[in-house]
Amino acid sequence: MAETLVLPPKPRSWPRIAMVVAALAAMTVLTTIPALGGVELDFGAIARNWSNGAERIGMLFTPDWSILPRTWQPMLETLSMAVVGTGIAAAASIPLSLWAARPTNPNGVTRRAVRFVLNVVRAVPDLVYATILVAMVGVGTLPGVITLVLFDIGIVVKLVSEAIDSADSAYMEAGHAAGGTQPQINKVAALPQSWPVMASQVLYSLELNVRISAILGLVGAGGIGRLIDEVRGFYRYDALSTIILEILIVVLLIEVLSNYLRKRLR
Amino acid sequence: MREHTSPGGAEDPASSAPVAWPIELASVTVRYPNGVVALNDVSLAIAAGEIVSVVGLSGSGKSTLIRTINGLVPTTQGTVTVGPHVVSQLRGKALRELRGNVGMIFQSFNLADRASVYQNVSVGRFAHTAAWRTMLGMTSFEDREIVMRALDSVGMLEKVWGRAGALSGGQKQRVAIARALSQEPEVMLADEPVASLDPPTAHSVMADLERINSERGLTVLVNLHLMDLARQYTTRMIGLRAGEVVYDGPAASATDADFEAIYGRPIQSRDRLG
Repeated sequence: MAETLVLPPKPRSWPRIAMVVAALAAMTVLTTIPALGGVELDFGAIARNWSNGAERIGMLFTPDWSILPRTWQPMLETLSMAVVGTGIAAAASIPLSLWAARPTNPNGVTRRAVRFVLNVVRAVPDLVYATILVAMVGVGTLPGVITLVLFDIGIVVKLVSEAIDSADSAYMEAGHAAGGTQPQINKVAALPQSWPVMASQVLYSLELNVRISAILGLVGAGGIGRLIDEVRGFYRYDALSTIILEILIVVLLIEVLSNYLRKRLR
Repeated sequence: MREHTSPGGAEDPASSAPVAWPIELASVTVRYPNGVVALNDVSLAIAAGEIVSVVGLSGSGKSTLIRTINGLVPTTQGTVTVGPHVVSQLRGKALRELRGNVGMIFQSFNLADRASVYQNVSVGRFAHTAAWRTMLGMTSFEDREIVMRALDSVGMLEKVWGRAGALSGGQKQRVAIARALSQEPEVMLADEPVASLDPPTAHSVMADLERINSERGLTVLVNLHLMDLARQYTTRMIGLRAGEVVYDGPAASATDADFEAIYGRPIQSRDRLG
């Protein structure tokens, strides 16, 4: 009764797999030949030097809590840098995201211009911004805040504009059919439509900001990083571990808070 | 919002303002950039205040036809005249002004789901409002009143502050009708307005369109692919097949043979809503 099914021929996949494996092997060989500028990895160095680090790791495991009172002020500074930076970046990201997405900005010239500038902004590492800005505006929290703003705009605008691009935007046609201008449609329909994704990315950038602003102090851009730099300079790894734990707790708290807010947004 | 209706039963402002416009297509051809000819030398005259169905299978050019009337699709040749406007000559502000007088509803409703019902309906006021008012969110009292009345007239006023995405399909289409009505249009276009709805809801939305035609006197042009809806709700029917008009006459008396000529195949059960 049951006839044998005539299956369509399955496309052969092994040639492609073989090609990928061959390409990976060739890459590996090419990058490890010293004559071709391969990186030198001296695993023996681990055996010779590990004891130096072990002492420090040992200190990290015995936190020195006496540093705590000195951390409050710089930690608050870090937090306020993160919040202020996120706030300014969020405000700037609203128009920029709409300009960078196709449905909300059909003009290809301005859209590509905005995207290009943002690609450049994203390509520069945050520590480079901080270093240059410290030289330009002086040591303190201001260069840190500007760095965070630039960094946040880069990621928020990219993620939000891509979300607008990929979302269903049939409401645009209705707006045009009713005789609306693009800014009118963006304000009344596109903005409420992209509000949740925008808020979600802004919260994400707030999380990132706390981590980043902890580092920015290393180049003099304010916050807890300055204290990290100081205790590291005195080899006080026990105090450093206290600061790291504190940053961890703050980051976790912000993550919990933003996860909660993000759930409410859905 | 019923308390706003004056005791004398005066006509509500949304229906008293408009005077319907006629529509005329003179040898209109639409060729898309990819070479597809969607409309081929179509000539039509629709009188002010008529309710007309455009019937055809998908791909017959009905969506293109309806979109040439508000300039969403530009014509390649020929002219489209809507009331005092020659659509093909309009650009920018003048085109937006025409669109402001032509309401349109869509198969997939085209609402901003995360925006409120109020925001969605206020889209209909765009062409009649100074842009700075929209940008600053300073809605005039009249605009707000028009939006509320439009929602009331389709029975959706109680949902005004809710999210459009939370509504059912039939409710969404009613909100979309309110959006079009808040334009206080002279012409109402409907592109397959009931194709995404279940049969009872489809009938009630068609009845809404019929009522808009009879009570407000608007010219109504509705794309359909179901023969029984065309017969029941419209007075005149235009049959499109492969971008050409193959039928133009009364809808109620169109025979099954006429429909077979429009479809280019024998009638099937799926050609009726039932």
